Amino acid sequence: MAKSFKNSKSVQYVRIDEKLCNGCTICMKACPTNAIRVKDHQVAQIKGVCIACGECIRVCPRGAVGAVITESHDLEERSSYAVSTSTALYAQFSDEVMPNDVLLALKKMGFINVYDQSYMSEMFNVATELYVKENLEKRSLPFPLISPICPVIIRLIAYRFPTLLKHILPLSTPRELVAREAKKELPSKGTGKSNKIRIINITPCPAKMICIKEPMLQMHSYLDGAVEIGSIYEPLKKIVHDLLHYSEDVILHFSGGIGLGWAVSGGEIAGLDMDCLAISGLGEVIQYLEKIEMGLLQDLHYVELRACIDGCLGGLFTVADKYRAKRKVERLVRMFGVEKRVKSEYVKKLYKKGWFFTVKKNPLLEKTSTYISDSQISDGIERQNRLEEILKLLPRRECGACGCPDCRTFAEDVVEGEASLADCVYLQEKKKSSNR
Amino acid sequence: MTDLKKNFKIKAKDFVRAGEISIKIQSILKSIGFDPALIRRVSICAYESEMNVVMHGGNGYFSLTVKPETIILNIKDDGPGIENIELALTEGYSTATQEYQEMGFGAGMGLPNIKKHADSFKILSGKGGGTLLTIGFKVKES
Repeated sequence: MAKSFKNSKSVQYVRIDEKLCNGCTICMKACPTNAIRVKDHQVAQIKGVCIACGECIRVCPRGAVGAVITESHDLEERSSYAVSTSTALYAQFSDEVMPNDVLLALKKMGFINVYDQSYMSEMFNVATELYVKENLEKRSLPFPLISPICPVIIRLIAYRFPTLLKHILPLSTPRELVAREAKKELPSKGTGKSNKIRIINITPCPAKMICIKEPMLQMHSYLDGAVEIGSIYEPLKKIVHDLLHYSEDVILHFSGGIGLGWAVSGGEIAGLDMDCLAISGLGEVIQYLEKIEMGLLQDLHYVELRACIDGCLGGLFTVADKYRAKRKVERLVRMFGVEKRVKSEYVKKLYKKGWFFTVKKNPLLEKTSTYISDSQISDGIERQNRLEEILKLLPRRECGACGCPDCRTFAEDVVEGEASLADCVYLQEKKKSSNR
Repeated sequence: MTDLKKNFKIKAKDFVRAGEISIKIQSILKSIGFDPALIRRVSICAYESEMNVVMHGGNGYFSLTVKPETIILNIKDDGPGIENIELALTEGYSTATQEYQEMGFGAGMGLPNIKKHADSFKILSGKGGGTLLTIGFKVKES
């Protein structure tokens, strides 16, 4: 792990409850960036850079790890909030519930307005095609381009694969576009306290809050917060089922099947007419990023990468069983048709005006890849040599008893002066037995 | 100041593990703190030469030497050797079997690609005599 990785500061995203944590090391071993340590058999601590993937929350058997996210009771005064929803929300209900019912129910809950993301997703698909086509002709870009949708992947690339930053498609994500357009519209509704209206995203994603507070691909997020699907599900479900008995003719959902399929891995590229791949699950995504970094896969135009296995439906904050939800999405896609309902000509006009592009990139992105001077290179080589020497001493049993996820990370910590060789239980045992 | 040296063994026809050495090299260079663009060039060359050995070269050795001013890759194998080096350096010339081409390799870009991304490139080979490849990168100019 590069030094810059450890030193960079980021928004505190994961909360560890010290009363519940018993220092079992399960989260430490699950962390894909090796950011967690359990020192002195106490509680887990975040020491390195967190990419907000939520693996630690997922694996903790004691429920001691939580994400920092807007709690549902923060939304008590609903008339001052508008909500936008991830398409994953629609898949959480039984088959007879249509996306429009869910959106209507949200409106009935008292939110001032409700925005669907699936139509914007289809517009985003068209814009992606336009961008790729334009740049294929110019041959001016590194291929494959990487989808900017998953906030965990963006962080992973920034910290571990900075050379791939220029592969990220420079368009605003559908959730940001929806929020941006909603903000334009909301004050004109004349609610009196227009400037107080905040837009909250209903999400299955543990990383949504961090990408709102500390967005990497743009300067500010247009969203004001995120709530997990789980926290709003029960009251919503009740209203949804009440609504099924009435006929309402308000239409809030406009997309076709393509926009609704986005919640599943492969859903984004289903709307793209080009050479592309969809990869989900952090382990496999890392393997593919390594390949792209080595100059492989250049024959592809676009890759859809998702941190959660099976895409957003596999997100931490969903309620329904993932496989049932997947089945529901497939059903919806069939029902609404595998085509986009957006008008390409209209999107093309907007695209030409620069409507889809982020105004200004966040300097955070560039910070992660700083060039190191020669003297630091010599230090780096020396550090690496010491690391290799320490590794030779270690048992490589990867037990984690020292409080580091594996022997290599332990060796890195020793070199950085953050751990001592005496923390290794095997080395201690060896020392004891040789003293006898 | 000691240089960093790492040696790896390459096993012939081991497509399951192929590419792992390049990934290890990539991660070592990253943790030293080299410029990402330089690391990218080194990993491309490492991967291409590793795959060459796995496909054609039989068993081999891969060594990485890191100095503050240069990075050197040495790849040695006991394979059949290259009969006509000049031809092997031509883009698109390939001796890969159909089987490998179906696996997505053998586009005849291996050696030319290495030469393109390296700062210095030496190849020693002859029919029946194995192949020794030395690839160098300057650190400062990256």
